[in-house]
Amino acid sequence: MDRAEATGFGVAVAGHAALLGVLSMGFANAVQPPLMNAPIEVSFVDEVGLESTVTEISTEPPAQSVAPELGAPEEAAPEPAETPAPPEPAPKAAEAPPEPKPVPKQAVKPAPAKPAPAKPAVAKPKAAAPSGKANETKGSSLGELLKGIGSDPSPSKSVKPTGAVMSNQAAASIGAAIQRQIQPCADRQVNPGPGANRIRTRVNLRLNRDGSLAARPKVLGQTGVDDGNSRYAARVADLAIAAFVGCSPLRGLPEELYDVPRGWSNFTMNYKLPG
Amino acid sequence: MRVSTYLKTAAASLLLLGTSAFAQETQPPADPAAEQGGLEVDVVGGISAPMPIAIPHMPTPAFANTAAGNTEMLGRQIAEIVTADLRNSGLFRPMDTSALPRVSYPQVTAPDFGFWGGSGAQALVQGFVQANGNGTLTVGCYLYDVLAQTELARQGFVVQPAQWRRAAHKCADAVYARLTGEGPYFDSRIVYVSETGPKNRRTKRLAIMDQDGANHRFLTNGQNVVLTPRFAPNQQTIVYMSYVNDQPRVYVYELGSGQQRLLVNQPYMTFAPRFSPDGRWVLFSMSVNGNTDLYRVSASGGAPQRLTNAPGIDTGGSYSPDGQQIVFESDRGGSQQLYVMNADGSGQRRISFGGGQYATPVWSPRGDNIAFTRIGGGGFRIGVISPAGGGEKILTEAWQDEGPTWAPNGRVIMFFRTAQGSGKADLWSVDLTGVNERRIPTPLDGSDPAWSPLLP
Repeated sequence: MDRAEATGFGVAVAGHAALLGVLSMGFANAVQPPLMNAPIEVSFVDEVGLESTVTEISTEPPAQSVAPELGAPEEAAPEPAETPAPPEPAPKAAEAPPEPKPVPKQAVKPAPAKPAPAKPAVAKPKAAAPSGKANETKGSSLGELLKGIGSDPSPSKSVKPTGAVMSNQAAASIGAAIQRQIQPCADRQVNPGPGANRIRTRVNLRLNRDGSLAARPKVLGQTGVDDGNSRYAARVADLAIAAFVGCSPLRGLPEELYDVPRGWSNFTMNYKLPG
Repeated sequence: MRVSTYLKTAAASLLLLGTSAFAQETQPPADPAAEQGGLEVDVVGGISAPMPIAIPHMPTPAFANTAAGNTEMLGRQIAEIVTADLRNSGLFRPMDTSALPRVSYPQVTAPDFGFWGGSGAQALVQGFVQANGNGTLTVGCYLYDVLAQTELARQGFVVQPAQWRRAAHKCADAVYARLTGEGPYFDSRIVYVSETGPKNRRTKRLAIMDQDGANHRFLTNGQNVVLTPRFAPNQQTIVYMSYVNDQPRVYVYELGSGQQRLLVNQPYMTFAPRFSPDGRWVLFSMSVNGNTDLYRVSASGGAPQRLTNAPGIDTGGSYSPDGQQIVFESDRGGSQQLYVMNADGSGQRRISFGGGQYATPVWSPRGDNIAFTRIGGGGFRIGVISPAGGGEKILTEAWQDEGPTWAPNGRVIMFFRTAQGSGKADLWSVDLTGVNERRIPTPLDGSDPAWSPLLP
């Protein structure tokens, strides 16, 4: 390389460097175009909604609404039920205590629960449920007074909820809400032995509208049970139930999605130990 | 002496039934969609730690004096034994029994879940002690899941007052088995060699005790050195090696009568005996003209049958729980290694291939593992290996651990540990997972332990 070539090479390098610098400054000072729409948060659901979640339009007229109760309005709602009586003196060991009577979920008249000597705490009547008649006010508002007024009574008996549908997004949201409430109790369950974490337990859960258990959790089945961990299978099923029961009743779940298809009145929990 | 046990059923009249935690059995709206394609929630959670458990003192329905003390005192002691058993397993963290509230007799079957739920305990063991008119005791044992607020198990035991500790072990076994999924093992015994005296002139006696060290007694007087005692499946017979007149031979000891007899009447050294799972045979080693092989002989004696014939030393035989196979150690390949063969001696194959030496193999009562002593790297360690030869795992790390024996449930291994320098030996146990090493209390030094099957 002679002197002229070296000089030319140097000038070319310097020129490229200068050009790179100018372009870099231009990019740095470029003004971002304003966004057409403000960003929104999105949540991902596991399943793609293959069915419309648009509110289903029912051609069936709604059932006729009737006034809550005939008779003079009262000042206040009555007490939901009698307070359970204090437990009887504890029975002798040879006697079987009376089983607490099941209380109908939507009892028209909340019968006072029979006191259960062994477990007064869990034998509380469910009369305080929102659907219970005892909780309804009596004829104090105009809307209530107008109910049932009409010359052409509706023959329909439809009790279909008006417009509540469990979308995949809502299902994911409710699933997350349930999981969050159960997690503290799940985290307290003790792994019984090596390989127990391979077992996945499916538990059917039936809830009341107030989030309490309506029936004993039912183990639907287990997967991942093998020769090495089969001795722990029954215990893992116990843990699944204990995890749920320990943190029930569930709170804050949307009532309108209680007994719709895929609603939270009846759902499945898949429980597994970590690892 | 046999303890009469009976599992309570709903038809049994003795104990009352705890009520269901689910007072309302209402049926929500039928929803076929929930069964198929319904809402599903995934929950993953749990911890690997000892389970917190509460075992309050057991009340008595009526104070009564018995040959073992009054029923109130027995209720306290039984709760403490259950507590100790569960704590020693390493899988439970019992709360301090003396700090727990007093439980009344009616509460035994109707626990105050409100209180226990806030106590930190996940499981609750309650029970009672009752003196019966015929001089026996009834011990009731109830297990509750505090979080689920349900009863998990109940058992009742009728025992002679002198056997009250066994009722406590049975109660602990019921709790352990229900909460861990493992088989029970607390109601079992240990036979071992009790040692005392200077290093070069040790007195070695056979001794027997409960698995927790209680009810200790010596079986032999120490006149002759004894080694390697092993239980028969009936727990009433022990086979062992003794140097009578400086002749090492296999003997049989009957616990009931205290009588001993020579098992194999041969002019050769016989050693390393072990019963077959059905109790009909005794496997042992015999040295004939410098060659040691495995033999078996009827438990009542007679002519031995030879099972191996390889040159070298074949010894330490142990049957699989189904009696179909035998694991043993052999130096036929140059160093002591583990081999498995069929019970008739056919199909011999090597299963250990690690460095150093492998000795004293013992087949797990569960059948899924073989425990052994691994010698090498400057120490003796206890390990396990699968019967097919894979999954070797060393469980202990000390200067000299040897002579493993399995708990009846195949989850715990006992062995003896010799201290460097002093040569003093002690009995220890370790969980199959390699944790919870624990020294077993013995009045003197101890070696060569053998765990009994579960007592009936």
